[in-house]
Amino acid sequence: MSGSAAAFLRGLVAPPPLRPPGALDERAFDALCLRCGRCIEVCPHAALRPAGLGAGYGLGTPMIEPRREPCWLCMKCPPVCPTGALRPIHEPRDADMGRARVFEAGCYAFQGILCRTCLDACPLQGEAIRQDAELRPAVTERCVGCGLCERHCPAPGSAIRVVPRGHRA
Amino acid sequence: MSLHPGHLATRDKPPPCRAASQRFSRWRRATQGSTLLLYLALPFAGMTWVTGTLVALKLGPVDLLEPAAALSAALAARTVGWWLLLGTAPVALLAAALGPVYCSWFCPFGFLSEALDRLRPRRWRRWSGQPWVGVRRVRISALAAFFALSLGLGLPLAALLAPPRLATALPLEAHAARGIPIVTASLLAAILAFELLGPRRLVCRALCPAGALANLLRAPFSLRPRFAEERCRCPDIAPCLQACPWGIDPREMRLHDGCTTCLACVDRCPSGALFTLRRPSRDPIREPISGPPPLAG
Repeated sequence: MSGSAAAFLRGLVAPPPLRPPGALDERAFDALCLRCGRCIEVCPHAALRPAGLGAGYGLGTPMIEPRREPCWLCMKCPPVCPTGALRPIHEPRDADMGRARVFEAGCYAFQGILCRTCLDACPLQGEAIRQDAELRPAVTERCVGCGLCERHCPAPGSAIRVVPRGHRA
Repeated sequence: MSLHPGHLATRDKPPPCRAASQRFSRWRRATQGSTLLLYLALPFAGMTWVTGTLVALKLGPVDLLEPAAALSAALAARTVGWWLLLGTAPVALLAAALGPVYCSWFCPFGFLSEALDRLRPRRWRRWSGQPWVGVRRVRISALAAFFALSLGLGLPLAALLAPPRLATALPLEAHAARGIPIVTASLLAAILAFELLGPRRLVCRALCPAGALANLLRAPFSLRPRFAEERCRCPDIAPCLQACPWGIDPREMRLHDGCTTCLACVDRCPSGALFTLRRPSRDPIREPISGPPPLAG
């Protein structure tokens, strides 16, 4: 009963938000997270905020809105989680928060304008985003979804946006 | 109205011999106030040796988890980890040894609830009968409901709705969001409104999962007001009964009746019949009846 009820309630509200590095899958995360606020408190960039009513089950859990403030992959939050809702990882490459996606219609590089803002903003330089032969950005499997590219993209509303990992499932 | 001689007639028991003290009450106010101040200042002070809210607190290297919230999360996630045992053990042991001292000595919500209680009209501030008896079942049922719902819904409700968490998360979230966190603020306001307008202090007495579990964890050897019946000279409505914030008669109290070890009753006991650690001497007549203690030497 609980599984379907939870899935139903979750489906009523917005899709899962971008989580801090090392977060468990949505369902386990919502269940294990005590909403204690330690990760929010430890974040030096104030990137983490408690989710509101729109998050349904995730009410009060930490989330990131990259366009306001992305994750700088400082990896301070995963070890402070008291219940392991954030796995205690230390390596930025393991963050696995989501993956950036280029929206070609808005991207300057796809319109022939020379722009490599997202490539320069990327903390995993040369790994997560590469330039193809026509100097257009291409996101690779190595992208962890920190959102620095989304934050810095000069196109209106950002032409590169992070798809949280929860969306892929 | 004049006093007739019978008013001054000696009773069969000697009059009370000790003035009410503020020994415990003063310390309690101090710890309550400093906890509240600490939490208001914490997010802004940039302190690193104390982080988290009262649901999961980190003091230096020590990781403390509030047992009801941790259990609720473990039930919701249907997992058991070392964190559950290691984090809750110190807190549970403290509750076993001292009773729910968090409620009366530290919890900022409890402090707010106490303050709001003073705002209630006088006729809503009276206990009737034996209020600690009726609330026993409410307390157990509420805690059981919290755990059952956590398991059924996959949501750690005893953490999410715990008043101590809400009260301490508010300044933290306000600082993170640079504004008023609407969800936490409105939940807290709703619970405080219920505490002010609903049955007297029912959230603290029975509905708070943290308090309810700490109350259950109290061990028979725990520190609490104890009663030496042979010393008591008070009538039915005794100062201790009036002092108790929960309307409990400390002379009839049982182990899990909701005492939070605030020790106000011990402070107010005029005859030393209520004590915490050392039982008073059996012979009350040797004690000075009144006046200052004899000079030393």
